[in-house]
Amino acid sequence: MTSNVKISVRQFTVIVMFYTIGTTILVIPSSLAADADQDAWIAAILGWVLGLLIVGFYIRLGRLFPNMTLIEYNEKVFGKWLGKKISLFFIFFSFICAATVLYYLGNFMTTQVMPETPIESFTILFAGIVVMGLRLGLEVVARTAEILFPWFLLLFIVSTLFLIPEIEIQNIQPVFEFGIKPIMNGALTFASTASLPLVILLLVFPAFVNHPKDAGKAYFIGTLLGGLFVIIITFLSISILGADLSERNMYPSYALAKKIDVGNFIQRVEILIAGIWFMTIFFKTTIYSFSFLTGLAQIFGFRDYRPFALPYGMILVVYSLVVYPDVVYMMDFDSTIWIPYALTIGLLLPLIILSVGSLRKKIKK
Amino acid sequence: MWAITGIIVTASFIAMIEVPPLLRAKLKGELWLFSILLLLGTVLSIAKSLQLAIPNPLDMLWTIFQPFSDWLYSFLK
Repeated sequence: MTSNVKISVRQFTVIVMFYTIGTTILVIPSSLAADADQDAWIAAILGWVLGLLIVGFYIRLGRLFPNMTLIEYNEKVFGKWLGKKISLFFIFFSFICAATVLYYLGNFMTTQVMPETPIESFTILFAGIVVMGLRLGLEVVARTAEILFPWFLLLFIVSTLFLIPEIEIQNIQPVFEFGIKPIMNGALTFASTASLPLVILLLVFPAFVNHPKDAGKAYFIGTLLGGLFVIIITFLSISILGADLSERNMYPSYALAKKIDVGNFIQRVEILIAGIWFMTIFFKTTIYSFSFLTGLAQIFGFRDYRPFALPYGMILVVYSLVVYPDVVYMMDFDSTIWIPYALTIGLLLPLIILSVGSLRKKIKK
Repeated sequence: MWAITGIIVTASFIAMIEVPPLLRAKLKGELWLFSILLLLGTVLSIAKSLQLAIPNPLDMLWTIFQPFSDWLYSFLK
């Protein structure tokens, strides 16, 4: 296998963080506001805690196979035939996610930033960069993440500082107006968008990190930090735009950045937020694609996934235009089907793998 | 028409980059999977450029997970 590929623990932390922030930062304030109105930020915090629990579970699962990827482990636990079938669910999930994330990017660009350019030009360009990253390998992508992290931090801190004077605290009052249920719903939405897809990192996590022991901690810290950024953005969005406007905007954090106005001089810097998003979404798409391709190669028993990166890029571009025929379909899917699907792939299947795996270990002893 | 030409040119470029090293290393299995993926990519791209309907995997997920979704949201609403 390509097990000579190793990334450092710090690089892994940054990747997990970017991955958690991913599309979440631009989309989640809107769906949280739809679920929990002005309590969206509480829902975000609750979802974050839920996400940490989920990641704790993934770390526990990862300890079962310190030198293998999830795909190889599946084969070991369930046997060749069934293991491959189960692995197919995971790589199908990562393909779907990669395609939808690419669509998000294209849709964002065509609706918000450059309305006269066709969506294909964005998806093709972006898929081109992703494929380039894939062909250069995980190590290069990880180093890129490390280099881009300070820039991400700078952009984030600058836009947050500029937004703080705009906060109007009455926008988040009354707290707990509708009770706990909408908040629970929102927390579930948050966890399923930000944390459950982290299951895909099990295809990277213990096998490709140089110190498997500390990698678990990195996984945890990455989610912790990533979630914090998203909570901050959600809070700003609710307290500045208000619940109504956050809900009605498809990209509230982008609308949020349009509010920045320092002394009538620093204005319209919303592309800062878009810049944050380009970085995080690049890593999200690349990691999804990486796990899809390594998974595919491992299912077929090939040593290297790289020859398949280019044709994969072609398929990805087409599917990014196919998965969501229109925005209404996207919103319907994301609010009704996505959560059960993510729960099945991100919680149910790993739970089965964990129980069967530990049972086998016990029997062996 | 131009779109199809572009797609075929891209596909041949991809083949030109990837096939010789695979042939040299005599990796038959990889070559097969590569060809299937490339063919799939080309056919799908051409179908998309002709605006033909391409099966959407999300429709399938929709059918499978609708009952689960209804059940889940009956608790949360």
